[in-house]
Amino acid sequence: MGREVSESCVDNLLIEMVSSYCDRFYANKPELAARRIEAIGYQVGHQLSERYTMERPRFSDHLEAIKFICKDFWSEIFKKQIDNLKTNHRGTFVLQDNQFRWLMHMSIDPSSDGSGLSHDASGALVDNKAAQAASMRLYFPCGIIRGALTNLGIPCAVSADISNLPACSFVVRIKV
Amino acid sequence: MIVCVAVVGQQNNPLYIQSFTEADDALKLHHIVHCSLDVVDERVNNPKKSGPMLNETFLGLLYPTENYKVYGFLTNTKVKFILVTTDLDVRDADVRNFFRKFHAAYVDAVSNPFHVPGKKITSKTFAERVSNIVKSFGMGSTG
Amino acid sequence: MEEYPEELRTPPVGLISLVGCPELHQMISTHLHSEKPPVNTLALPDFSKISIMAKTPKDTGASGNTQPAGILKRDWLLKHRTKMPAVATALIPADHVSGDPAQWNQLCTHLDQLKAVISPRNIKLVVVVVQASSRDDFNEDRMIALRKRAEVDFKYIITFSLNVESDLKQSLNRLGILFAELINVYYRDEGHRIKTCIEKKTYNYVELCIRYCFKVAVYAEFRRDWVEALKFYEDSYHALREMIATSTRLPARQRLVEIKTLAEQLHFKISTLLLHGGKIIEAVLWFRQHCASYRKLIGAAEVNFLHWEWMSRQFLVFAELLETSSRTVPGFPSLISLAMDKSLTEWEFQPAYYYQLASHYLKEKRSCLDLSLSMLEASYEIDGSAESVMPSIYVGQFARLLEKSDGVISMQLLTDEEFIHYAVAEGKRFQDSFEIIALLKKAFDIYSSLKATRMASHCGFHMAKEYFYTGETSKAKESFESVVHLYRHEGWVTLLWEILGYLRECSRRDGSLKEFMEYSLEMAALPVSSNAGIHSFSHREFGPAGPPSFHQREVIHKEALGLVSRGPGFTSNGDGNNLHLAESSLHLEIDLVSPLRVALLASVAFHEQLVKPGIPTLITVSLMSQLPVAVEIDALEVQFNQSECNFTILNAQKSPSIATSVNQQGYCREEIVPSLALITNKWLRLTYDVKSDRSGKLECVSIIARIGSHFTICCRAESPASMGDVPLWKFEEHGESLPIKDPPLSLSGQKAIQVEEPDLLVDVNLAASGPALVGENFVVPVTIVSKGHAVDFGELKINLVDSRGGGLVSPREYESFSTESHHVELIGISEPDGDDKSQVGSGNIRKIQHSFGLVSVPYLDNGGSWSCRIEIKWHRPKPIMLFVSLGYSPCSDDANAQKIHVHKSLQIEGKTPIIVSHRTMLPFRCDPLLLSRIKLAAADSDRPAPLPLNEASILIVSAENCSEVPLRLISMSIEHDDASESSCTVCSANDDLVDSVGPALLMPGKEYRKVFSAVPIERSQKVKMGTVCLRWKRDSESHEQSYSSSPEILTRHRLPETDVELSPLVVCLECPPCAVLGDPFTYFVKIRNETELLQEIKFSLIDSYSFVSSGPHDDTTFVLPKSEHILSYKLVPLASGMQQLPRVVATAVRYSAGFEPSTSALTIFVFPSKPAFEMGKSENGSESVFLAAE
Repeated sequence: MGREVSESCVDNLLIEMVSSYCDRFYANKPELAARRIEAIGYQVGHQLSERYTMERPRFSDHLEAIKFICKDFWSEIFKKQIDNLKTNHRGTFVLQDNQFRWLMHMSIDPSSDGSGLSHDASGALVDNKAAQAASMRLYFPCGIIRGALTNLGIPCAVSADISNLPACSFVVRIKV
Repeated sequence: MIVCVAVVGQQNNPLYIQSFTEADDALKLHHIVHCSLDVVDERVNNPKKSGPMLNETFLGLLYPTENYKVYGFLTNTKVKFILVTTDLDVRDADVRNFFRKFHAAYVDAVSNPFHVPGKKITSKTFAERVSNIVKSFGMGSTG
Repeated sequence: MEEYPEELRTPPVGLISLVGCPELHQMISTHLHSEKPPVNTLALPDFSKISIMAKTPKDTGASGNTQPAGILKRDWLLKHRTKMPAVATALIPADHVSGDPAQWNQLCTHLDQLKAVISPRNIKLVVVVVQASSRDDFNEDRMIALRKRAEVDFKYIITFSLNVESDLKQSLNRLGILFAELINVYYRDEGHRIKTCIEKKTYNYVELCIRYCFKVAVYAEFRRDWVEALKFYEDSYHALREMIATSTRLPARQRLVEIKTLAEQLHFKISTLLLHGGKIIEAVLWFRQHCASYRKLIGAAEVNFLHWEWMSRQFLVFAELLETSSRTVPGFPSLISLAMDKSLTEWEFQPAYYYQLASHYLKEKRSCLDLSLSMLEASYEIDGSAESVMPSIYVGQFARLLEKSDGVISMQLLTDEEFIHYAVAEGKRFQDSFEIIALLKKAFDIYSSLKATRMASHCGFHMAKEYFYTGETSKAKESFESVVHLYRHEGWVTLLWEILGYLRECSRRDGSLKEFMEYSLEMAALPVSSNAGIHSFSHREFGPAGPPSFHQREVIHKEALGLVSRGPGFTSNGDGNNLHLAESSLHLEIDLVSPLRVALLASVAFHEQLVKPGIPTLITVSLMSQLPVAVEIDALEVQFNQSECNFTILNAQKSPSIATSVNQQGYCREEIVPSLALITNKWLRLTYDVKSDRSGKLECVSIIARIGSHFTICCRAESPASMGDVPLWKFEEHGESLPIKDPPLSLSGQKAIQVEEPDLLVDVNLAASGPALVGENFVVPVTIVSKGHAVDFGELKINLVDSRGGGLVSPREYESFSTESHHVELIGISEPDGDDKSQVGSGNIRKIQHSFGLVSVPYLDNGGSWSCRIEIKWHRPKPIMLFVSLGYSPCSDDANAQKIHVHKSLQIEGKTPIIVSHRTMLPFRCDPLLLSRIKLAAADSDRPAPLPLNEASILIVSAENCSEVPLRLISMSIEHDDASESSCTVCSANDDLVDSVGPALLMPGKEYRKVFSAVPIERSQKVKMGTVCLRWKRDSESHEQSYSSSPEILTRHRLPETDVELSPLVVCLECPPCAVLGDPFTYFVKIRNETELLQEIKFSLIDSYSFVSSGPHDDTTFVLPKSEHILSYKLVPLASGMQQLPRVVATAVRYSAGFEPSTSALTIFVFPSKPAFEMGKSENGSESVFLAAE
């Protein structure tokens, strides 16, 4: 039984989810919208981790679990592994995906914004807006990572960094 | 014969517990399942003692009580599956097979988007599936 | 284990017997007992007692061909351990051997008797000849005869000498070795004999096989051959197991009892041997097998309790064995890991596991016994026939004692029916509950120590149940309570339900209504419903509460609330219910960790985070309950930390009588709502506005729900933002809603709000200028201006605090209490009219301390103002914080109204205004020889130079303005510290130059100097020169009036003490103050000798180019005591201007000190021509003034 999903469907779903929460349900409260999107990701990650760890022995430490996220878990979702994993050995891990699939089709071009703002004044604003939209979308994968790790017994906080698109880094801070 | 199966959550809270006996010992089975968690803890906390079974999800026989044998299974997500049987002679492979199917059923049940992680499993489909798995226990089926 | 006979419990020990010479028995038996392995002794004082060892005639009859009456005689083991020695020892005194024939004959008879007794049993014989003294000579012939008579090998006849200590010891050792050897031989032979019987199968009955194997094993144990013992015990055990199906000898029930009893013995032996050998895994496996093979042999229904009792005992005994060996066997835990692959589990190595199961089987026994009893009692009464039944001679059999008419007692075997009677009657005698509790207690303790909390709790729970059913309510409650939290914590609702049911019943028995209500409410609010997988719960299982179901919850809920709604004074009726509501009402508390949070949860959120005082803000009180039936609340009291904000919400449906009863307690805000019904799992949301007049935190503390007239629940308020999940329900799949409709508020809402400070309507101004100067009374004007409302009962608090944190009082000077001891001091507070004198008399000033002052402020109308001046004096330069706070009531009519406080603070630097310094100089052109100065020059130049006695020295005092404001100096003088004894006269060199001109203006950074001449008149190490008194004031820019008003300030500076020294020689240069070109003048060098000695002085004149000189050049002269030698030179100036006089260098030979006048002393101004002004006054200038050029 194949477990394949059309990529564009996933993209559309993501776009729809972000816009629903940001522009409709919590139009003026971005932090609440972010919280909701993250919570959805959390549940998805929670459930996926249950499935993807089914046939494997238990992890003996945190690093093993993180490696699992980087390799098998990421492969299951994105058909590729995390490109780079860094850690300070004190509970912080940075997972970098050089071609993060869920941002690849996102336009960062200001002209596509179509909001009719005058060019000279709004350049920075549009850039800012695009980055904001991208970061909204990233609450979902952050939630997925947090959900998966939490379910594996590693409570943590996850944030994303998109300073050099389309690469995306997820920073995992394990709570002690 | 399997008399009881249970799913126990990360905080050692019961997520699903079902007994399959006609006799009125369901409560006793609850006690047995609860007590068996001590052995699970013991095996996880002292992995040296478990020797070759290090980090295997299948924990084997947890303890024999007066009438029952209790087997355990611990997933990566610290969810415990407990099996209580009255059979004296149980093949290890059968138990492993049972747990594998039980686990699969559990994963399907919790993947339901309407299921909230950490809550009890109330799905009827899951209950049916589990009772089928229980019925086929020891039949040597491959599925 | 204790109920087993001693001979079974301990490993057998070889036995020998001693006959004759009773005085030695004690010594020999003690020695043998301490041997390794020990040997027991059967001591027979004389030969008449030897029949005890004799073989009974019955023994001979036992052969392999008749049906044995039993398997094993009960006394066999005991007999072999206490009555059947392996070796018989005849102790014969040596004098009897060598004595007269009568003694010899007697001895021979005894030996013959002994031989006759022991030979059928193959007991070995040893003859010991006791030598009481070395004088006893040995008759070799007699010894040989003795040997022949005794028919023993020569080595079994030993002599035992008592006389020497070393000999005695040696004899004992020899005896010990000999016995050990013979014991070994004896038991080996015996074992061998029986083994051949087994091998040849000379028996027809399996009973004999069991018996033989048992005997062989025991004999092997005597020899400490554990391996063989184990093997034969096992053989015996297996043979016994096979017998179950085949034997027909006894009535069926008793047969099983006999077999089990024997199996128990054999199993005990095997387990003991295995455990003592450290083979724990084998022992556990053996035990498992033992139980498995006998478990099902329950036997007849009437006596099945015997089976369970037997099973329980197996577990108990094994637990005890395991417990003792786990203490003795090292490396016990490591064995466990080895066992894992043999499908053994952790608990099977723990005695607790076996104790627990022992209790389980004992419970089984009890229930079966109860059943048997009821069956028997139903059919017929148990008669007294059981009394004459006792254990028969065979292990595991019982017989009736029959006393025949002739007094002969005989045993009669029982029929099965009789046996049942007997067994039931015996069983009735025991109280199993205590035993069960004891077993569970042991298991509980061990599991607790292993941190197996769930196992321990399980045992604790069963213990509690046992207490409960035996009627020990308090112990039951204690035990239940100790385990209930685990089930609460882990959310095992069904198990929790069961325990709570018991606890509820306990509190019902105790009559504790409060606890009953708590447990009832908790149970009623538990997440149990009839569907989820617990349909198979039977009623019997669940104890008093019944099976968990929604219906049962409703029943409990209604019962509990029914109880409290009935009001005080009622006593519930029937079924041992002694609950009653006391006179006062029932009050329950629910805090943040209470299990009753499921019954009532209160979430309180303010809609805002900040509010102005007096401005209403919205608060939402949300209540939720999981109780199965809707609860109608009569009234809700919402309580805040500011009690004036409290309000009550009343239910309009309830009778107004409640409302009035609440209202009687005093003024209270009331709100009325049409209904206050709390529906299961639904938030009851109530929003009201709250207004606080007091600034600070306003927090909702608790919500008190009043249900009925006498029942209240006080529920701690929780913030929605930090509200934890409801215990137990968090695992349920049930609809959840937010406590407040607004989602952000229910995520972030807080039960506390910050009430801001009110807007200031009164201004307090502190107008201070610049830094304060040490010594002056620094004035800080304070102005209070009312801008919004009147100021009444105003009170101004003034506080000085060291802004660096240190105290304002220096600790060193603290004791003196003088004003000087305070570095900074609050001098006073004066009214604006400047009437300083009225301060003290005025009632306005209430209190002034060194750093604290309090002054009352008169009534001020709106717009009015009032001011005062605070005077602060600095004694030391120190920065301080001045805090001024005004407290007042805004309206005059209500004195109790909330006071308003206005705080102001100001940091003021205290600075030293003037630094006074001084230096001393020697008189001009006068050079006293100061001996210490010569020494000093080398040592340290820092120390001030001593002053010459009786010579006028010059003292220059300078005052530098180091403040930032111009100061005006009024006067500078030097006062003596104590006028009575002036050791030094100091006087101003010029007559009050400053004062005559008026105060000298001293700009910042500038210095003022004044010259004094000081003549020490007392020779002393420390001469006080006095204190400089400096009067000054601030130089105000706005001239006259402030100039006059600002008072003079006196700064005192004490001059340091100086050394005064008598100079032996003084050299003075005398010349006119100035000269005229070409005009000759006289230049004197006066050498004054102040000593009583003749002084030799060498001097020389170094010529100057500017002068022509006449007079002595290089020479040596002697100065008489107390006289003066004058060198006089005539000089003619050759050049005009500043010129250097010829230098005279004098050397005092006595002190080898030279005089060399300084360059300035030698400088003289030469006029080109005679000036046209009067110079008369400067004739004596050389000894008066020298002002520094700057």
